[in-house]
Order: sequence, then structure tokens, then C-alpha cells
Amino acid sequence: MIRIAPCGRGLYAFGHFQAAPPDGTPLNSLHDSYHRPLFPRGPGLGLRTLLLMAVALTLIFYDMRGDSLKPARAWTAWSLTPVLWLASVPAQLVDMARGIDTRNSIEQQNAALKQQQFVLSAQLSKMEALAAENRRLRELLASSAQLGDQVLVAEIIAVNQDPYRHQITLNRGSRDGVYRGQALVDAYGIMGQIVDVAPNTCKALLVTDPDHGIPVEINRTGLQTIAVGLGDERGLRLPFLPSNADIKNGDLLVSSSLGGRFPAGYPVGKVYDVKPVAGEHFMEAYAYPAARLNQGRQALLVWNHSVETDADAAAAAETAADQDQPQPGAPAANKPPAPAPIAAPMSKPPTTPTRKPATAAAPTQTPAVAEPASRPDMKPTP
Amino acid sequence: MSRPSPQAVWLAFLLSLIGALVLQLVELPDSLSAARPLWMPLMLAYWALREPQLPALVPAFLLGLMLDVLYAAPLGQHALGLVVVVYLVVRLRSFFIIFPLWQATVALVPAWVLYCFLMYWIDGATQHEAEVWLRWLPAISTTLFWPLLWSVMEMIRQPGGDDD
Repeated sequence: MIRIAPCGRGLYAFGHFQAAPPDGTPLNSLHDSYHRPLFPRGPGLGLRTLLLMAVALTLIFYDMRGDSLKPARAWTAWSLTPVLWLASVPAQLVDMARGIDTRNSIEQQNAALKQQQFVLSAQLSKMEALAAENRRLRELLASSAQLGDQVLVAEIIAVNQDPYRHQITLNRGSRDGVYRGQALVDAYGIMGQIVDVAPNTCKALLVTDPDHGIPVEINRTGLQTIAVGLGDERGLRLPFLPSNADIKNGDLLVSSSLGGRFPAGYPVGKVYDVKPVAGEHFMEAYAYPAARLNQGRQALLVWNHSVETDADAAAAAETAADQDQPQPGAPAANKPPAPAPIAAPMSKPPTTPTRKPATAAAPTQTPAVAEPASRPDMKPTP
Repeated sequence: MSRPSPQAVWLAFLLSLIGALVLQLVELPDSLSAARPLWMPLMLAYWALREPQLPALVPAFLLGLMLDVLYAAPLGQHALGLVVVVYLVVRLRSFFIIFPLWQATVALVPAWVLYCFLMYWIDGATQHEAEVWLRWLPAISTTLFWPLLWSVMEMIRQPGGDDD
């Protein structure tokens, strides 16, 4: 035993050539798991690698072809929330360090904000009168179009760090009634749409992502076209415009309701370059996005009532069921599911104030109910 | 002289991989984010070189799937890249391990380039266009970070001396 005392590899190897100790104590001071087995069992390294590569390729294939892997993705995302939180700590520290301002600058900012708030509230009071007037006129016309969209404020909790994917993660999920394809706006225009919904979070694709396309209308002329993302900070591209299309620098692009994804009339971008494509019969235009995509921490989720997807109806019915549980005796429980998508998100606090008076008229939105309810109003007016 | 117990090695393995996952997600300024080092392949390659008895292949696959979910990439993209890198490093371990640090740094460049190429190729195959030239920046930054990662990990694991 003494001669193989562990005092260096050379002597140690020397110990091997000596006769083994009679009592069968192990020669090695290393733990068993450090030995490379002389006769390895199980599949070899190459085979295991091939197997895993085949699994990975199959996963890629199925992920691109269908939605069958979506639940697995959602649950993995949910279980990785602590990692995301941990990764956001440095950014929060930087934000905190930046948040330290001098008193002077805060006072200046305060004064500017007060002034801005004054102007905006004056505009808002005028806007409320106009909205009320508009609502009355629309009720007369028995139109189902809504003025104020229903919105929900969401916090941006993470930004995709892959520089080639323009995606953000928000702190609202299917529990808040968020659905896939929902439009996301900020104070300046359309930011993008929801592509992935987990129970507590959702992922949004920004308009500048190369995978994103949005139907737009040129505000000046009404020309309908499509804006796709460029994949960098430059913004949007409007491909395949007719060579005689009336479009020029400075034109405002607003969202169009074609396709049914986005609420109509929100700004999308501003054209900064129009050029013909060499050798082709069409032009291309380039636009900066109107939304401030890389600034701010909040975004607004918009419920587009004109076309609600099945997914939304299902999600809303789910949340409505959740909300019904505390008051099972409420008559809302045995209502038909049709008003549920409207009723469920309505109970959220951050809805726009203009919606409040319309609550009673909310069911008129479904055409079947709207016809009999509004026709009697129509009759006396002409 | 004495080596750490297998439990300690496993703990360090998992902790460092979680650390690499977090580093991969930490927000960087836009100008730097294209040049973010490939922390995940770096860390896995370190362990595959340093502790060959650890089965690094399956953790590489699982972490790749996590990365795919976090980056919203097609499920399996990063998993494929990581598995290939780990396989290469384990296979050529006897070749890498005899080199001094700076030569190993150079010898590992093809592995990072291969990883970048796989990511680029799968992005292309799944119709996700992206800037062509910036894609190779991580290979450079990863090469620069390899000696740093190696030395820091050695320092953390064996403070004040090297083992065997």
C-alpha cells in the first residue's frame, strides 16, 4: 500500500508494474467514473450523434410543416421563464443607472410633459365630443363598426437576441385573452403581430422582421399594397408596385383591413425611397416604420372585432369560464358563447373610456342580433 | 492533486451551462449583438475537452432545444449545431488536447465556422433570410473568447494550482 501512495503520475504508473496488493484494494486513487472503459457498451459516439442529428432534423421538418409542436414549445418557454428573468437583470441594472437624472433635467422634463398633457387633454375633450357624435351617426346607420378599439397594455419583458429575428416577448398570454395574429401597436403606429402565445407570455413579430408582411394603404391615394420587413433597422419594403403607381417620398402608409388581421387606419410607416427595379416592370418603395420599435417598454394589444379568429373565441371562452367560476349563479354562465369574446376582455381595467357607454350595445356587434335591434330605430328616421 | 468528486464536476457542468444560456440571452447593444460569442458551443466544447467522461452529447441536444425555444428558431436548429460541435470536439479530443492554449484556439476555428454555417444553412432552408456577411462574425468573437473562457474556467475550478 505504501509504495503506491498517490504522489504523481509517474510513480503511480510504476505502481502498476508491481504486484497487486494481496488484499485486493484498488490500485487507483481515481474515482471509477474517470476511467475510460476498455470495452465500451451501448451505442458509440458516432451512432449517438447520428441519432440526435436525425431527431433534430425531424423536429425542424415538423416544426416548419405544422403546429403540432406548439404546445411543447409553449411549455418549454414557460419553464425557462427564470432564465429569461436572470438574463434581463443586467439590462435592468443599466436602465436603473440610466434612470438617475439630475433634478434640473427632471424639472425640465416635467414642465414639458405638463405642457404636452395640457394640449393633449384639450384635443381629447374635442375628440370625445366627436366620438360621441360619430357613434350616434353610426347607430343611426346601423353600422357595426366600432370607433374605439379595445386595447390592453402589455409590458415588453424580453427582446429576441438573435439579430436576425425581430421579436419581442410580452407579459400577457392566453390567460389575458391574447390570441395568435393579434395586432400590436404603440403610440405611433403598428408594431407587429402576435405569433406565439404561452399561458403567461406571448411573442410578437415586429413589422421589420423579414418574415413579416402587412397589408397597407397609402393614405394619400388609397393604393393598397403589402409592406414586408427588411430585416434590419432600415424598415419596410413595398415590392411589386406598378411602374405608374402614384407613390412618392413622404407618403404615409396606414394599415388596411384587407386580410383581416390588423385594425384599419393605424400608421405603419413613411416612404423614404421609391425606385424602379432594373430590368423589371415594377417599382419598389422603402419606408421607415412609424412605430418606435426599439424604444419604450410598453405596447398595446388591440382586439380587432371585425374578424375574430376561432383561436380567439376559444381563448376568450376559456377566460370567460375562468371568470364565471367565482360567481356560478350569475346569468352570464348560460349565455350563448357568441358574446363571450367581447365580454371577457371588457372586464380588464385598461379599456378605452369611449367603450364604456357602448357596453349595453355590445351584443349588437354580432350581425344576427344587430339586425332586429337596430331596424326599429331605422324605421322612424326616414 | 486530488480531483474533484464526480458530483462536484456535474454540479459545475450544469451551473456553467445555465450560465452560458443566460449569457446567450443577455441584452447587448444592437451594434454588438451580431458579434455575440457563441457561449453555448464554447462552454460545451470546454467540457467535452476537459472532462471526457461526461456525456456532453445529450445535454448539448437538450440545451439546443431550449435555445431554439428562447430564440423562436425552428425547433432543432441549435440542437443540431451543438450536437455536431460536441461530436467534433470529442472525436478530435486527442488532437486538441496536446496543443498549448493558443494553438488549440486556432485549431477550434473550423468548429465555430461549421456551427455558424449550420445556423445559416437551416435559416436559409426554412426561408428566413438574413444578412450574409454578419453571420460569420460570431466565429471570430468566439475564437477570441476561447482562451479567456478556458483560463477563467480553469481558475474557477482549481484555484491556485493545476491538477494532474
